[in-house]
Amino acid sequence: MNTSRLGTRTDAGDPGSARVPGGTPGATTPPSTRTGQRAAGSGRRPRWTEDRVVPYLLVLPAVLIVVLLRIVPLVMGANFSFTGDGDANGAWVGLDNYRTLWDDEVFRTAMKNVGLLLLALPVAVAIPGLLATFLFLKVPGYRLYRSVYFFPVVLSPVIIGAIFNVVLSFDGPANQLLEKVGIEPIDWLGDSTYAMFTVIGVHIWATFGMALVIFMAGFATVDQSLLDAARSDGANLRQTVWHVIIPELSQTIQFVFVTTMIGMLTGMFGLLYIMTGGGPGGATYLPELYIWTQQGQMNRPALASAASMVLFVLMLVVGFAQLRLLKRATKES
Amino acid sequence: MPAALSNGTRSRRFSTRLAAVAIAPLVLTLAACGAASDDGGGSEGGGESGKLVVWDWKSGDPTAKAYVDAAKADFEKKHPDVEVEFVAQPFDNYYTLLGTAIESGSGPDVVLFNGGAQLRDRVDALVPLDDYLGDNEERLAGWEAFQDADQTYAVPITLQGEPFYYNKKIYEEAGLDPEAPPTTYDELTDVCEAIAKIDKDCFSLGNKEGIGMEFHLSTFGPGVFTPEQYDAWLAGDRDWSSPEVKQLFEMWVQQNEDGWFNDGVNSTAMFMDEFTKFQGGESGNVVGLISDVAHWKSFDEFLGDDLGVYPGPIVNEGGQSLMPAEGGIGYGVTEWTADKELAYDLVDSLSSTDALTAFYADAGAIASDTTIDTSDSGIPVVADIVSWLPESKPNLHTVLSADTLDLLHRLSQQLIDGKVTVDDALAQLAASDK
Repeated sequence: MNTSRLGTRTDAGDPGSARVPGGTPGATTPPSTRTGQRAAGSGRRPRWTEDRVVPYLLVLPAVLIVVLLRIVPLVMGANFSFTGDGDANGAWVGLDNYRTLWDDEVFRTAMKNVGLLLLALPVAVAIPGLLATFLFLKVPGYRLYRSVYFFPVVLSPVIIGAIFNVVLSFDGPANQLLEKVGIEPIDWLGDSTYAMFTVIGVHIWATFGMALVIFMAGFATVDQSLLDAARSDGANLRQTVWHVIIPELSQTIQFVFVTTMIGMLTGMFGLLYIMTGGGPGGATYLPELYIWTQQGQMNRPALASAASMVLFVLMLVVGFAQLRLLKRATKES
Repeated sequence: MPAALSNGTRSRRFSTRLAAVAIAPLVLTLAACGAASDDGGGSEGGGESGKLVVWDWKSGDPTAKAYVDAAKADFEKKHPDVEVEFVAQPFDNYYTLLGTAIESGSGPDVVLFNGGAQLRDRVDALVPLDDYLGDNEERLAGWEAFQDADQTYAVPITLQGEPFYYNKKIYEEAGLDPEAPPTTYDELTDVCEAIAKIDKDCFSLGNKEGIGMEFHLSTFGPGVFTPEQYDAWLAGDRDWSSPEVKQLFEMWVQQNEDGWFNDGVNSTAMFMDEFTKFQGGESGNVVGLISDVAHWKSFDEFLGDDLGVYPGPIVNEGGQSLMPAEGGIGYGVTEWTADKELAYDLVDSLSSTDALTAFYADAGAIASDTTIDTSDSGIPVVADIVSWLPESKPNLHTVLSADTLDLLHRLSQQLIDGKVTVDDALAQLAASDK
């Protein structure tokens, strides 16, 4: 699209110029005169031309869907969280719901468990990272492992929860194994000391396959010449990983961290629902399960909205903080 | 964009054809959204030629088919032009879905409810039915569970109670008289000691949902409280610091410590692992229900003649031996329904004697209809259960609010888990149950 072509086309007869007052359709007009005429008549030039409108029109469905189905419900939810439940349904109650959340021991447990998830996050990222490294280094049988590791991802949390309910039940296989080696059986899901760790462990088992695939894709982009250069410089494995692989995978690691965290915060409902239902004694509540319980079981949708807003803000803050931290941590200075 | 590119900077007027192409996906999307919301159920005008939508968690069961058919036939006789649609929802999410319908002020015309807190928390969405009841008030029993502030919001179709079921074969193995179940708490303690010796569990218990304490409270409560204390509790005068309440909670902890229950109580689901254990002969006793599930009919399939039943044992002097019972499930009419009288007529059909007889016969529910003859069931324990009904009193736990029950569920697990003391638990409950 060069200027000479444009000039030629315009001179050849632009319908726009034809609409200029006093202009003769199809007539060749000296450029200087045309400019003057355009300036004089610019106020009448149609603004809603197809070229201008169509791009907006084409993105309009997407924008409207985002606005109507995402932004509007979010704003409505925020607004709803400042109203009451039950008798005060629809009435403005200010920050009352947030105060109730603050005072609710179950919600506080749910938030503490979020902290536990954040602590477990490096493990949830390290496991697929490590396994992907082994696969990248082509350990014997890596083709088989590659498929096997991905298997749990295709199972629904309900099925995984049901399977582990059996495996981890008090008289189930896991405890039978412990008994064989002389360890007292553990009530994995019924003892509040272990229950949350158990569910987190199952969640990591169930989802690490996806992170593994992302890591594998990341490994495929590692510049082979950098690895060769490191090798010829005499770098050992630790140095290669630390100075070449991790900086090269920095974007991937960031992505896996953020998606794994979001997965933990929003994707554990199914497992919790099936495996513990928030128990024992509310020890395994997460904000998501709390929201569901308040909305459905306790008939307090406004309180549930307030909890949803807290979860939303929490995810924003943690997500951004992670990105900043990881950018610093994974890039070589 | 190709069209725009090929025209370079040429300005063209807005073409309607292109606009239509661009807008089409948007219109389709919005139309799809609209269609989805239109299908949400609800009465269509509600008039004589309309449609009534019923929400429940029962009509999908094969055992409820005869009941639903009989109710439909009865209603069709009265209103031949009105279509009735039953929507069987999953029970786990029933009150979540119903909550959404209530929030939007639209949805089913007739809804099934559990008696007690689940109904009382949602009476704003229901029509008071007292003016419509007529003869049904006499014919049916179990109204208290569906009343709030002296107004009736649903019509009971079943009675729910909690008797103690026992396995006569295990009693025999333990050297106990299978025809003489315990009548006092001391006798029950002896029974549990005897059963422990043959390496079986005295009680099957699943407390994964935290409901164990509810059952404990309502089944041992009559034996602990005097009749006056019992009635005061039901009337709302509840003293959580009384010695009797403390005794009830200490019994719960003690029973666990004494090994009355199976291992892993907090990770065993009451529905249905607890009852499966009892049916499988792993335990001597279980606190079960009389309707819906975990009842005489389902236990009879596995245990046959070995199945026995007894009411809660007397614990204290002045306590009573009775089986707590009240309205189990019942149908209410939503306040947004167009024709309330028409909707009540459907509730009337759903609680008709013919329909409830079918429900009793096929599903094994003890129906709320006192005129149904239960003498020919062929299952001996039914006669006992029915004979205790006139003496029974409502459950102690169903008068508690949903909030307090939720707390009770958690404390029920924490007491087993040793994470809370009885005193602390009672203080929390007293604060919640104001």
